[in-house]
Amino acid sequence: MEIFTEIFGFFFQYLDGVAFLILAAIGLAIIFGMMGVINMAHGELMMIGAYVTAFSMYAGIPWPIAIVLAGIGAGIAGMILERLIIRHFYKQLLSSLVVTWGISMIVSQLFLVIFGPTMESLPTPFSEIKILVGGDVGFSVVGPEGFAALKAATGRLPEGVESFGIYRLVMFAIAALLIAGIWALMRFTEYGTRARATMDNPAMANALGINTARIYALTFGVGSALAGIAGGIFALTSAITPFFGAAYTAKAFIVVVVGGGAGVVNGLVASVASLGGVQTIFSNMFSVYIGFVGMIAAAFLILLLMPTGISGYLENLRDRRK
Amino acid sequence: MKRSGIFGILGLLNGPQTMGRGWVFWIGFVVFVVLAYLGPTHLGLKPYKINEFLISGFLAASLSILWGYCGILSLGQVAFFGIGGYVWGVIGINLWDSTGNTHLAFLGGILAPTAFAAIVGAAMFLARLKGVYIAILMLVLSLLLETFMLQTADPEVYSIGKAVLGGSNGLRPASDIPNAAFGWGESVVDFNGRRAEFYYFALTLLILTYLGLRMLLNSSFGYLLVAVREDPDRTETFGYDVRLIQLAVFCIAAAIAGLAGSLDTARINRVDPEVFGVSANIMVVIWVAVGGRKDLTAAILGAISLEWLFLWLTTSGNPEYATIVMGAILVGVMLIAPEGIFVFIGERLRVLFGKSGLFSVERKDSVI
Repeated sequence: MEIFTEIFGFFFQYLDGVAFLILAAIGLAIIFGMMGVINMAHGELMMIGAYVTAFSMYAGIPWPIAIVLAGIGAGIAGMILERLIIRHFYKQLLSSLVVTWGISMIVSQLFLVIFGPTMESLPTPFSEIKILVGGDVGFSVVGPEGFAALKAATGRLPEGVESFGIYRLVMFAIAALLIAGIWALMRFTEYGTRARATMDNPAMANALGINTARIYALTFGVGSALAGIAGGIFALTSAITPFFGAAYTAKAFIVVVVGGGAGVVNGLVASVASLGGVQTIFSNMFSVYIGFVGMIAAAFLILLLMPTGISGYLENLRDRRK
Repeated sequence: MKRSGIFGILGLLNGPQTMGRGWVFWIGFVVFVVLAYLGPTHLGLKPYKINEFLISGFLAASLSILWGYCGILSLGQVAFFGIGGYVWGVIGINLWDSTGNTHLAFLGGILAPTAFAAIVGAAMFLARLKGVYIAILMLVLSLLLETFMLQTADPEVYSIGKAVLGGSNGLRPASDIPNAAFGWGESVVDFNGRRAEFYYFALTLLILTYLGLRMLLNSSFGYLLVAVREDPDRTETFGYDVRLIQLAVFCIAAAIAGLAGSLDTARINRVDPEVFGVSANIMVVIWVAVGGRKDLTAAILGAISLEWLFLWLTTSGNPEYATIVMGAILVGVMLIAPEGIFVFIGERLRVLFGKSGLFSVERKDSVI
């Protein structure tokens, strides 16, 4: 039974890591993949989402709706930023990098001045439901009564039993849904077709009557909204501060860069699956810090072998086969 | 055009890659330098405040030659600054008692970041990593160093000789990090970082670095840097190895940043993991972007004036607004004068003074 516990724990951690990376990176992947802009203010858009979620939930709104509101709020903020500032920096990769970094600094400091250093933390949904694995229990999902009953004898869980929170699995489900949603949005909708045409060849798309400026603004809005949703989801499990986003930004960048810009969805999935694996293994064997270092080393190796990211490499392969 | 001998070498100071040429500029330069030397005694500048600005000048120069001239943006330039600072401190602590000077500390503080840059740069440039990836990777590297230094609190594991890395408290023991000191035996000159003597020392070094870099940038190597920035493929077609040029300028920039870090540790007799942090990194980028990345003079002036403004903002009234103002200045300048404030002013002055005068900016015509 012990080996089963270990495997389950490892698998759980892997899903958790993958969900984390997908959520942190998905908005950035859209904006980088579709528009070629590296948005250093990504973490701050997540932070805006977290604050919207927090204020909505203080007002008594249930968490799923609060997270949707977070997406809407961050999406609007992103579109405003795009119209005011970022649209002047298309095709200037390094300048867009620097200017969005400046924006991130302003936004986080403004939130610090307005709302103070911390917010009241939010309750994690489903926190009373636990998955128990190992020992005499085997495998079961218990509510608060069952959990209390198990602990009643000794005050803690019986020998060999590990408990896992279910919200992590919810996060994974949401991440998978978002990925599927983005894929469908790009594949089947009018907007998706126009957006792909614009990214492929803006001048030609424009000549065919597509309003490319609107497509850019919308795409930036979609990316920002995804960042906001992710921020809302993370807000339910961690402390909310004005510098909340900084913790996610570095990892999100690595994931996106490894995924590459050629195919947003498949690049993101491949990159997250591999980097998440490396991170889980190294964190388990050594420490969280080594896990992060291992992830960066893996990213560097992948970039050495595939300079355009995993999706660029796959596209090259496909082209060569034709 | 080319002259040989001593005039040829001095002529490099005046070349087209750096803003400002002709006698009007050089008279202005001399006046500025004289005023700078008179600052602490006659103009009421407080050395304990302005010494820091000079160090910013080195960092700005380092990012300017890398990003402005060669087109390689590094968002983690303070990684080299921090390494220089730590190595200077470690060597200084260990050798101060026996030698009484800090020659080797300075040597190490410059060479260690250069060697680090050579390794990292070789991996990045030989792999022909794209510019954005290099920018992000350097930032991540700097943050990794910060995280690593933060967890070095255990003195049993993390100490080098007498120096204890000390985690978030920074290098210990703080009282034993020496000042910058030069000389042998009895005749050692010691520069207290809070006093005017350090100001004269750092100012002289900054002016020498500035003039040296002007000569480098106006030499054929400087032309190559700009060629790599403007069109790496064409430079490659001319038979130059772009990767080696990038690696070389990366190492030079790291050496200057390392010198800045060494000076900073000597100035305040301390160094902690915060030197590697995000805010330190973003500040360097702001100085250079706002001052004018494509010109050495503009970048240094940008650093010094923005540091001055930042100090004024943090000490007068509302310090929490200081970073907002800095960010707003960055975004505003990027929108209105993307080449930077001092390059903008320089080009206006050139129009004012005409061809023969103050600021000739003919870089674009002379390239390739």
